[in-house]
Order: sequence, then C-alpha cells, then structure tokens
Amino acid sequence: MKRSRDRIFTTHVGSLPRPKDLVELYRDNSPDSTLFPRLRSAVARVVQEQAHFGIDIVNDGEFGKAMRSAMDFGAWWSYVYPRLAGYELREEEARKGRGAWTFGSKERKEFAEFYAAEASAAATASQGGTSTARLYGLTCTAPVKYTGQEAIQRDIQNLKTALTGAQVEEAFMTAVSPATLQILPNAYYKDREEYTWALAEAIREEYKAIVDAGFILQIDDPALVDIYDWWFSMNDDIAGFRKWAAFQVEAVNHALESIPEDRVRFHICWGSWHGPHKGDVGLKHVVDLLLRIKAQAYVIEAANVRHEHEWKIWRTTKLPEGKVLIPGVVSHATNVVEHPELVADRIVRFAKTIGRENVIAGTDCGLGGRVHPQIAWAKLEALSEGAKLATKELWS
Amino acid sequence: MRSSKDKILTTHAGSLSRPANLIAMSRAGAVGKNEDKAAYADRLADAVADVVRRQQELGIDIPDDGEFGKPVAGSYDYGAWWNYAFARMSGFSPAGSPEAAAHETLHKKSSVADVALTSFANRRDWQKFSEFYLDPESSGSLMGSAARRPVGRPACTGPIKYTGHAALQADIANLKKAMTAAGVEEAFMCSIGPGSFARGVDLYYKTEEEFLFASADAMHEEYKAIVEAGIVLQIDDPSLPDNWDMINPEPPLNEFKKFEQVRMEALNHALRGLSADRIRFHICWGSWHGPHTTDIPLKDIVDLVLSVNAGAYSVEAGNVRHEHEWRVWKHTKLPDGKLLIPGVVSHATNIVEHPQVVADRIVRYAQVVGRENVIAGTDCGLGGRVHSQIAWAKLEALAKGAELASKELWR
Repeated sequence: MKRSRDRIFTTHVGSLPRPKDLVELYRDNSPDSTLFPRLRSAVARVVQEQAHFGIDIVNDGEFGKAMRSAMDFGAWWSYVYPRLAGYELREEEARKGRGAWTFGSKERKEFAEFYAAEASAAATASQGGTSTARLYGLTCTAPVKYTGQEAIQRDIQNLKTALTGAQVEEAFMTAVSPATLQILPNAYYKDREEYTWALAEAIREEYKAIVDAGFILQIDDPALVDIYDWWFSMNDDIAGFRKWAAFQVEAVNHALESIPEDRVRFHICWGSWHGPHKGDVGLKHVVDLLLRIKAQAYVIEAANVRHEHEWKIWRTTKLPEGKVLIPGVVSHATNVVEHPELVADRIVRFAKTIGRENVIAGTDCGLGGRVHPQIAWAKLEALSEGAKLATKELWS
Repeated sequence: MRSSKDKILTTHAGSLSRPANLIAMSRAGAVGKNEDKAAYADRLADAVADVVRRQQELGIDIPDDGEFGKPVAGSYDYGAWWNYAFARMSGFSPAGSPEAAAHETLHKKSSVADVALTSFANRRDWQKFSEFYLDPESSGSLMGSAARRPVGRPACTGPIKYTGHAALQADIANLKKAMTAAGVEEAFMCSIGPGSFARGVDLYYKTEEEFLFASADAMHEEYKAIVEAGIVLQIDDPSLPDNWDMINPEPPLNEFKKFEQVRMEALNHALRGLSADRIRFHICWGSWHGPHTTDIPLKDIVDLVLSVNAGAYSVEAGNVRHEHEWRVWKHTKLPDGKLLIPGVVSHATNIVEHPQVVADRIVRYAQVVGRENVIAGTDCGLGGRVHSQIAWAKLEALAKGAELASKELWR
C-alpha cells in the first residue's frame, strides 16, 4: 500500500455520484446488454474525474453496486445480496421493515418527531424505494454461499480498463463486512456466531478476488460502531457492545485469513444518514478492538461535528508501527463545502499526532447518493486543495 | 452587557423553532385570515414565556424571545428575520402587487461604488451550483434546497416611516414578562440592519444611498425602543458578507468595501445616541443549506465589522466554510472592551455537535482573544433552518460544551 512519503496523499471512502442515466438503467432493471457497456464507460469516466480533481488513490465510484435513485444511502451493502445464495424473502420479516434489524435505538426514541418527518421526506424523494428498503424481509434460510464471481470480475475488469493511462497512485475496491451481513435475520444457523462465521467464509471470496486483481481491498464496516445505536444504546450497554464487537473483529480476521495485511484498508463510520447522531458510541470505546483488525490502514469518520474532536484519541492510543490512518477531512454531513484551509488544519492535526507519513486524507463516508453530485465533486476538490496546503506546511 | 467573568456565557443568534399552533396562526394572519387577533396575541405571549423558560433551563445565559414576534410562513422559513420589518414600515407595496412584481430583479446601481446587487437566481453561488439548486430530488431531504427558493418581496413605493410601534411594544412586553417569570437577568432582541433591509426593490428614492439612510432613520426607532426597554439589541446584518456573492461578476475588493462602508455608516447613523455596550452586531453568510464556496473571507471585511458601534460581534464560525477563521483574530486585534460571539454550533448540519467539539472551539477563541471576551453562540438562528428537535439538542450541546470549556479555562 502506498503511503504519504513526500506529500499527503488523498483518497475517499468509495461511493461517488452516478450519472443519471446509469441510475435509470439500474432502476428499470435494464438487461445486461444495455447496462454493462454504459457501466464500463461510466467507470472509465469516474476514474478520469478523480484524477482530474487530484485524488491519488481512486476507485470505480462503486458504480457496479446498483443505485436506483439519486439520493440513496444503502448501495454499499445491498449490492451483495444478488451475489449471495442462502437468502429468501419472508413476509413476516418484511412487515417489520427496519424493525427486524434493531432492538431499539435511544437516538430514534429521543428524536422520534425528527425521524418521522425525515422518513416521509425520504419516501417522497425516492419513489423507487431506497436500496436498504429493498432488503426488508430477506432472511437466511439455507447455507450462505458466494455466487458473485462473475459480478466481481466484471467490476474488476471495468476498473482495470479505466486505470489504463490514468495518472493516479493506486486503486481500491470496496466490499461489505461480516458484521454488516449478520444484521439480516437468520433462520438457518444455530446461533449468531455460527451465522457470522459462515458469512465471513462466503465474503472472503470477494475479498480474495479484489486482492488477487492487484487492488487495495477496502472493507466497509459501519456496523462495527453503528450496531451500538441499533442494539445496545437503549441500555447504555457498552460492555455488551464490546463483547459483540470483539467477536466481529475475530470474524473479519477469519475472512481475511491468507490475505496480506498491507493490501487491506478497513472503514468504519457511524451510518451516513443526515440525523443528529447524538447516540453514536465514542471511538474511544472501540479503538483497541479496531486496531486488532488485520488491515494496514483504518479509514475513520472524523470531519463531522459528532466525531471531529476524536483526533485527540491518537495522542493516547498509539497507532501501531507501519499502520496508516485515513481520517475523514471532508464530510457528507453538510452541504457546505469545506474550506481548503480547514481541510489542511484537520490533516495537520493528525500528522502532528501520528506522523505525516502515516496519514492519508479521506472522506467521512461515500459522497455519492448522500449529497448532490455538484457538491460531492466540490468537496473532493476541496480535499485535494487542502492536502496540498497541508503538504506545504508539513514538508516546509 | 454581561460578559464571561467567571465562566463562558452562552447565547444564540436569535431564531428558535416556533410551536406548530403559533405557526398556523401566524400563517393565517399573514394572508388576512386571522379573525381573532386577541387570541394570537395571547398565544404569542404564552409561547414567548415558554421559550424563554426553556432556554434558561437548558443553560442559555442570554436568551431572546426566539423571534416569535416575527411571523413565519411555515416550519421551514429562512426569511422571517427580514420579512417582519416590511409590516412595520409604511412606504411599501406588498409582494405580488403589480409594482413589486414588475421590478423583482431591478436594482439601482450604487453611486459610491461600481457595484450593483443582482437577483437571488443570478448570485454566483446559485450559478456555480445551478444543477444542485434546481434539482427537485435534492429538495426531498431536509438538507435540500427547495426551502430557499427566491420569494417575492414588497417594493418601496413611497417615503419610509416606522409604523411598528405597537408590534414592537408587544414583543418587548412579552419578553420582559417572560424574563421576570424565568428569573433571567439579561436578554436580547433582534432587529434588522439597514444594509440588509434596503436590499429590496426601491421605486421611490433617487439613489440606493437615499433608500439606505431612509431605512436607517426608520429602524432607529426600533433600535432605540429595544435599548430603552433594557434589552440588549442585536442587529442582524448578514448583508455585509452576503452581498459579496450577490454581485455578479465578482467585484474588485476595494469597490465592494466602498459599497459596504456606506452601509455600515448608515447602520452607525441608525445607532446614534445608543450605548455600544447595549448592542451586539450579527453577521453570517446566509443560512441556506448550499455549498457557500463563494463566501467572502472574514479577513477581507473584519475592519468593516469592527467599524460598527457595537459592544459585541456575533460571527458565524461553526461550519466548515468558516471554522478556520478563528485565526483572523490572531492578526486582527479585538478592540479592548469588545466581545466576540463566535458560532460554535451550526444550522448547516443535522448532526448535533459533540459537547467536546463545542468546547474545543470555545477554547480556541478564548486562547486568542481572552476567555472573558468570548460568549459562546450559534452560527445563525436555528429556528426554521433545522428540525425543532435538532435545534434544541444543539442548544443543549452548546451549554454542555461551554461548561466543559469553562472547566478547562478556569481551572
């Protein structure tokens, strides 16, 4: 994995704005013969755009992961279900909607009026239903098996082709974590542990394909911190949460068996919806577990007002030798575009705490589907301008 | 004016979330359908009493009436701070009248600078991000843009005169009663600055400057009444930074500063005879949820800000476009005896600031300008700009953050 040896490198978390017609092709369930050529050209273009805006470590914008409306927060995990055998739709689970996945959230209780207003606004905005809502009712009823070999090879080929001649440092590709996958109800395995273990072994195939193709694998694991809000927050149960998270760390390490650590980066965030996030568990409660994950780089939300102060954690928690931190220095949480000087300030703060060569400048979460495309690109531009300012300050 | 003598005091920029039934009554009143004025007056008084008590309970040291006396059109409304003033002046033809509609985009050129304001749709930020502003899908979420569509404004068609005495006295009485009931020592009340007010269409005065000074003379009456009532006067004047983006193409800085200087002179004219110690001056770069990449840097206008005869300056500093500007105060000295009220929580994100983020921001300011010169505030009014539950949670975070900062600064 490349690191910021003589300047601050830039990257982002993955999702980028899809072209309108690509969203429509997915929405209309267009045949592969129509979808695939457009997907290939869109990936080629998005790699060029990232290079143009000064992003060093690029990806395919997650374009191979279906998004069916312009504002959509769930494609990063909904993409995998067409690639997994073992699930079927169960009406009784579907009727519960999101309720089937959570034991109650303190935040959703405290801000019930806000969430009710937000749900009705979101329903109006995405008539096609969000990616996440498409998963309501999916239940594991048979052995889980990865069946997405063709899909992942298609994504790999598209990115490889797009990279030909592109002026970038390196490329990454995202894949979902076992901790995220075990959110969907299980009616087959004897317990959650066995279910998670099976998921880890299934998703390993996708991880291996990405690494074998020569790309950096980014594992997306918002669940690792976000599950606190979904399962443990009602009772402020930090101990229960840590026990759950410790097992999930073992599971993801099991999935990463035989994959070299320096080809892996690991992303956590606290869920990307535009809510108050007052119930987010603090990074301090989970940072030791995070560092046990066999990845070289950790990609962490740090640019929004709920988590910005957490850079100080790295003063007392030592980032192990050889590891890299990719803090978010621009965020989807506001339409306001970060001032490059603020971006630089944030980068410098991290660099002075853990060493400039151990910092790559990133985003809080994917920008695609979460802010308007024009704003998403303006934020990536601010990110690379800020990284240049920080480089000047840090290498002066 | 109270200052942070032994702890960091807290306040905010003015607008708070109106209760639903007050909004319904004020909307009915706005279209002349409110038959029962006495019922509205009673409801308003009760709502002000509630909102002052709630601020006090949350730990806001210097509260206001939430601007509840300034009518809103709905639970999302970014314009009440401006629109209220038209109802308190004579000399205007209502929005939608033939006079006003015909000249919606007409602006007189300044006679002091080679500059003229453009319409909302032609401002540089709107042009640069037109796809965002015009995208119906981006308006579906609360973060979207539909709430900030251009709206019709009344046009000035005769001599301006302040006629709002009764409405203002009702606001003052409501606030004072609420203060006594809640045991609040000091409170503030917002009033629009002439520079912001005189951005509407003018078909009567010969020059823009005449329109400006006539507005200043009219507003003087409101300012004076607030100060004489023993309430701290807050002048809302986002136009100072915000006009920059409303001039297309981008003007030379010196021309812009000439253009703004006359506006600050008009404001000081309107503030004549009033003690600076009873006045705070609020600027922000416009509160809509847009990218704001064309905002003018604070460093370019800080001298104009400080030219206003006020005892405190309330400045947006809690969002990602302006957060880095605390450094401006390293190079520009805050004059002795003046206070700074930086925004340490913001309407620009639904996320509720972590109290530690709030504390870090306060401490940064305190270390530059001195802890006794900082009051913790908000970027802009929260009411009408974020959901009411989020607005209140942000004020709570503000108070908790100020406590953390006080612990750090007075240990």
